[in-house]
Amino acid sequence: MVIALLTLCAPRSALHAQRTHLLIVSGLGGDPTYTAEFRALGLALADVARKKYAMPDSEVVYLAEEGAKDARISGPSTKVNVEAALARFAKNAAAGDEIVIVLIGHGSGSQEDSKISLPGPDMSARDFAKDLAAFKTQHVGFVNLTSASGDMLPVLSAPNRVIITATKSSFERNESVFVKYFIAALTGDGADVDKDGRVSLLEAYRYAVTETKRYYDDLGRLQTEHAQLDDDGDKKGTAEPDLRVASGADGALARRIFLGGGVYASMAGANDPRLAALYKERFALEGRIDELKKRKSTLSADAYDDALENLLVDLAMKSKEIRAMEGRS
Amino acid sequence: MRGICTVALLAIVAAPAAAQSVDDATEMLRAGKYQEAAAAFAKVPAGDAEWTTAQRYLVRSLAAVGKYDEAESAARRSTSGSSGAQLWNTLGEVLRLRGKNGEAEQAFARARTAHASDSLTADVNLAILHYDRGDRDEALKEFDRFIDIYNGSGGSSLTTADLTAVAIACRYLGATNPQLFKDALKAFDRAIQEGADTPEGDDARVAVGEMFLEKYNSADAQSSFDEVLRANPSDPRALIGAAKRRLFDGLSGADSLVWRALKVNPSYAPAHVLAAELHLDLEEYADAQRAIDKALQINPASSEALAVRAAVRYLVNDMTGFEAAKRQALVANPRDAELFNTLAELSARVRQYREAADFAKQAVALDAKSWRAFGLLGMNELRLGQIATGKKNLETSFTGDPYNVWIKNTLDLLDTFKNYDEIKTDHFVFMIEKDESALLEPYIAELGEAAYARFSSTYKYTPPPPIRIEVYRSHADFSVRTVGLAGLGALGVSFGTTLAFDSPAAKDAGPFNWGSTVWHELAHTFTLGSTDHRIPRWLSEGLSVYEEHRARPGWGFDVTPAFLDAYRKNKLVPVSRMNDGFMHPAYPEQVMFSYYQASLVCDLIARDYGEAAIQRMLQAYKAGQSTDDVFKGVLKTDLATFDRKFDAYMREKFATALAGLDEFRVKTREARALMQSNQFDAAVAPLERAKALFPQYGGDDSPIWYLAQIYTKRGDTRRAADELKQLAASNETNYAAQIALSTALQKLGDNKGAATALDAAIYINPFDPMIHQTLAELAKAAGDPRMVIRERRAVVALAPVDRPEALYQLAVAYREAGDSASARRAVLRALEDAPNFEKAQTLLLVIHDERTGGKKP
Repeated sequence: MVIALLTLCAPRSALHAQRTHLLIVSGLGGDPTYTAEFRALGLALADVARKKYAMPDSEVVYLAEEGAKDARISGPSTKVNVEAALARFAKNAAAGDEIVIVLIGHGSGSQEDSKISLPGPDMSARDFAKDLAAFKTQHVGFVNLTSASGDMLPVLSAPNRVIITATKSSFERNESVFVKYFIAALTGDGADVDKDGRVSLLEAYRYAVTETKRYYDDLGRLQTEHAQLDDDGDKKGTAEPDLRVASGADGALARRIFLGGGVYASMAGANDPRLAALYKERFALEGRIDELKKRKSTLSADAYDDALENLLVDLAMKSKEIRAMEGRS
Repeated sequence: MRGICTVALLAIVAAPAAAQSVDDATEMLRAGKYQEAAAAFAKVPAGDAEWTTAQRYLVRSLAAVGKYDEAESAARRSTSGSSGAQLWNTLGEVLRLRGKNGEAEQAFARARTAHASDSLTADVNLAILHYDRGDRDEALKEFDRFIDIYNGSGGSSLTTADLTAVAIACRYLGATNPQLFKDALKAFDRAIQEGADTPEGDDARVAVGEMFLEKYNSADAQSSFDEVLRANPSDPRALIGAAKRRLFDGLSGADSLVWRALKVNPSYAPAHVLAAELHLDLEEYADAQRAIDKALQINPASSEALAVRAAVRYLVNDMTGFEAAKRQALVANPRDAELFNTLAELSARVRQYREAADFAKQAVALDAKSWRAFGLLGMNELRLGQIATGKKNLETSFTGDPYNVWIKNTLDLLDTFKNYDEIKTDHFVFMIEKDESALLEPYIAELGEAAYARFSSTYKYTPPPPIRIEVYRSHADFSVRTVGLAGLGALGVSFGTTLAFDSPAAKDAGPFNWGSTVWHELAHTFTLGSTDHRIPRWLSEGLSVYEEHRARPGWGFDVTPAFLDAYRKNKLVPVSRMNDGFMHPAYPEQVMFSYYQASLVCDLIARDYGEAAIQRMLQAYKAGQSTDDVFKGVLKTDLATFDRKFDAYMREKFATALAGLDEFRVKTREARALMQSNQFDAAVAPLERAKALFPQYGGDDSPIWYLAQIYTKRGDTRRAADELKQLAASNETNYAAQIALSTALQKLGDNKGAATALDAAIYINPFDPMIHQTLAELAKAAGDPRMVIRERRAVVALAPVDRPEALYQLAVAYREAGDSASARRAVLRALEDAPNFEKAQTLLLVIHDERTGGKKP
């Protein structure tokens, strides 16, 4: 128990071989347009996971309405298949790994009966709650991008879980545009706002929230979906968590979960002890910058900027060295 | 026996007959058939049981139509009769209508001494006289007795008139305890109930309506007045109440109610007083003076009339006359805070806010319980930018009078000021909501300073610093700041050196050009200031629009088909009565038309007399001259001649459009139908014809806009750009047109023109980050580092998803402009969010090396 806790709380500078296991589920479209649209979104995400984030095929499972009509799809998105995939992740995942589940489709129901429409029996929040209970030592990112998904959040909210829903409640039943922007955030380049070469769940979420709002504003329409994120286990979602949140509030965990987080770690842990040392120093500097930012309100603006500049200059120099060693400069 | 029986029978029959005649006459009185009622009451014989009532109503009928002498004679005659004691109060009330307050007091006292049936009414009348002459403490004690009377009687033995007297007493006492207004309402309600279908009940209804209005409840006030006016459309007091209610709600039609009241009773002093106030609103000072003279001729002791006379003299800059009028009012009532309140209110209504605040201060000094005075003082201090003291005085006012919805709304709004940033520049303090201050400040500050430079040179006037500009994201908040209530139609207001605007985010205000709004209102600051706020409304508005036209292409109201229609149908006000178009519009569009028309008057004056003539006019207004005198003195013409000159100017300026307006509509309609069926090529000919018929029109349904869209669709960028340029020169709110123009010009390689179009678009909608980004790039290509920085700052202020990138670009812009310190701050902010942002790291290292020579700071 102690070990598990330590593993979960370890900062990313610990460089353990953390892996991400991704399950994408696109549900019943109800008509060919939606079916095709959901499939396209699911495939885009599966592709980027495999290519951009270099996730091994074994860790990317994509279940779609029409089953394996495409080699990139693992099978039909039936309840049985979804639960089997999750059971397999539970069996294979090490402590500290990340489990990311992304649901695309139509949602309905409310509270514990809030569900995603699947071929055959639907899956409810109650079902997912049971399946997720298996991930006691992992971080779970549960991203429900279906309409009317909001009621799943309080049911699934728990420590070490990021729950993202496209809507605030089960009453927001219109087709969601949030889903498109969330997938775009993970597949494109615009959402990586901290410029670390990766898109965290928090970055993807904030990107999608902003673009969804802009979409409705531009059309002059009232916004009919309000996404929410919870990752402090308090069963209450936050609409716009701070991108720079350090800890103690929604966003702190989502900020640390990435598709292919293992790729980043493996970069640092490449078989070159000098490079590994440089990464270690770089992570230490990043940690000191985080610490300084927490003390910002206690310092004068000038003193803060001077201290920040010192650290950032060191970090820039360190990054330059890493790039040179990696042959990137 | 038969004979006796017959007599007895006659007597029995005769009694109801007399009563019937009084009842009939009373119905006539209540229906406003005053002459017939008076004739009927006069016939009631002295021995009749209803004689007292008949005499009271006779006097009342005569007074209602202004036959005060006859009313007084009748009352005097009656007092000498056997039941004469019952008529002293009635006599006193007639005497009071003529300002014979000394005699009235004696009459009321005799009614009291004689224990007349209406002695409570006499008591309250006495207390009012005492109150009105400044014996405030004595009067309040007298009013206070009524509470005991009411409680002692349990209300059950009180007549309608008695209950009304109790209500009136409670209303006066309300100044000391606002809860007593509720008691007043209770007594009024009972009076109305008891006196249903009686003239006394009608009095109570009108009185409660007046109290509702005094307590800012216009809906219930109107119900009360309506109820009386439904039965008696000729009740002068109810008509004036209804007129005041319309003024309260900012509705037109008050003037016609005043004229109706005066038609019934040409000697009704309160109607003349209100007429004078209406003239003052229109800045028709000579007419106001005539009206107030009439009021004072009828009732030389009317404190309301004396106050309005003082205001008229003050507003025409006749300080001797003002002092005399003020003295006279204060002799009648040395504690007449209402004199100064009236002066404050009427000054504020013609935009003399400093004077209004000064008068309100004098009112407060005279009566520390004049909550109205504290309110007027606070509101006008806010208009002068004295926020802290203004708020304090409003709080005092609201504590004493918690019914004032304007003050409540304003105090609520003031509580939100903590959510605003205050930004200072050379001549301004900008108060902008924190969420958008970073975005708007660079534009509004730049625009403000540019306007300041232009107007201070044009008008040779330096406003006292700083000019305070408040920008509201909520139109309702702007409205409350301006008039205390939501629902104002305007977008901006200038109180002189304090201005308030809708922010471009105030979407409920509809699409508008916030840049031209700022320019417009700042022009007021200078035209008001350079004339000591004596410029008439129409000229101030006209000059503001005129200045908008001169500032940037497309800014300001422009000609429309509807405007020309109004001109053709003679629905524009003549120049000689232009304030009517703003203050008493005859139809909803007239205010908008008047803005444009007033600007055309300024155009005409500048064209035919030179711009210097406008400055000379302002100086003449400053000296207190009337519009008549200004036109004669400066333009060497009378207003009637100028009206004709303006008419000729209109016919000349819009000759083509006026001749072809009908065909223009036909052709535009034809083209629109073709476009709706996708026959764009076929639509070009009718559109070109329509454009030739009305070349100045650039509205959103103009042929120019349609042509631009067709040419864009065809890929004819050059012609599209030409049309869009023309459109932009006469349309300040078509955002899509500005964007399309910019795109077209970029395609044509005219980056400078493209940047100008985007710059114009930002004053319609500043919230699109892509526009700022594009403008930054265009400005960079054009070598305008100032604009690059402004646009990069705007992108950051819009909280983009990729904030580090926006900050990095801003840092680059600062560095290229040679501002290394700002560049350092911006790049630090970028890296604070994204410590591993490679481009920003590189820039930081460069800046760091330049700053420290490679050493740590």
